[in-house]
Amino acid sequence: MRPMQSMYRRRRHNVPSLNMASMPDLIFTVLFFFMIVTHMRSDEVKVRLQVPQGKEMQKLMNKQSVVNIYIGRQGDAWHVQMNGDLVSPTEIPARIEALRAAMAPENAEHMTVNLRADRHTPMGLISDVKEALQQSYALRINYSATELKKE
Amino acid sequence: MFHKRYRKQIPELNTTSTADISFMLLIFFLVTSSMDTDKGLLRQMAPLPQEHEQPRDINRDHVVQVTLDADDKLTCDGKTVSFAQLTDEIMTMASVNPSGHVVSVQADRATTYEAYFHMQNAIVAAYNTLRQRYAIDHYGKRYDLCTPDERAAINEHYPQRISESALQEGGSR
Repeated sequence: MRPMQSMYRRRRHNVPSLNMASMPDLIFTVLFFFMIVTHMRSDEVKVRLQVPQGKEMQKLMNKQSVVNIYIGRQGDAWHVQMNGDLVSPTEIPARIEALRAAMAPENAEHMTVNLRADRHTPMGLISDVKEALQQSYALRINYSATELKKE
Repeated sequence: MFHKRYRKQIPELNTTSTADISFMLLIFFLVTSSMDTDKGLLRQMAPLPQEHEQPRDINRDHVVQVTLDADDKLTCDGKTVSFAQLTDEIMTMASVNPSGHVVSVQADRATTYEAYFHMQNAIVAAYNTLRQRYAIDHYGKRYDLCTPDERAAINEHYPQRISESALQEGGSR
């Protein structure tokens, strides 16, 4: 054997392998980060909507006491979706009552309706929903929007 | 010699796939969760008027009448204004008469939600600016840095007096 060849062979065999032992730990850390900072999306939005943009935003606190109402298009018609399913404005008071009964008393007291409505929704529909909410005494209402940076 | 060789090769647990498993979990959480916290304009609606309640009389001079028509045109006391001008109008009215003025809001049923939202945004901006000023003048710090008690005092000084119910003209005042 020539010494040259033997050296070449030795090199090919000892390719250092990357130590992957810490990789799972790293990814788990990222995973836990995401688990903590996010909340599960509870309901599937069945209507298409794009919320307006505003400047004077407040964060919506206390997720347990929030009822979501989505108003948007499905095909050509406007629809109102409450938490999981499509409703008509006249059904809202009964549903609010049911939701309020299911909530813990301290949450029911601060019940907030998060209104996510498409920016082109006619106000007539919004007024109907608001009137229904007034009837059921759900008076805290949050007009959901995306933040426009203040200049 | 055989014994020695056996000792050296301790079988290792193959953990290569742990990374893949945790990646899958990570992607699952990324897909099913939403990062954005909901933001919006928090408003308190007035309860429905009771049967026995009488509509209250307000001096016409203290009312800012804001209307949105079917073409998203914003008018304030009869004049066509922009959203920024509306903020100024309300600020003058609310600073002159903090506890007596009323902002009366009326929107046509054909108005788009976007116009209505911008109007609400402009009204809230007016109050926020006034409260911010008051906080800096009286407590020497920004409104959002004030204690809850101080904030309550500011809010009492500049209450948001917004009415969305229809106004009835009349009276001889």
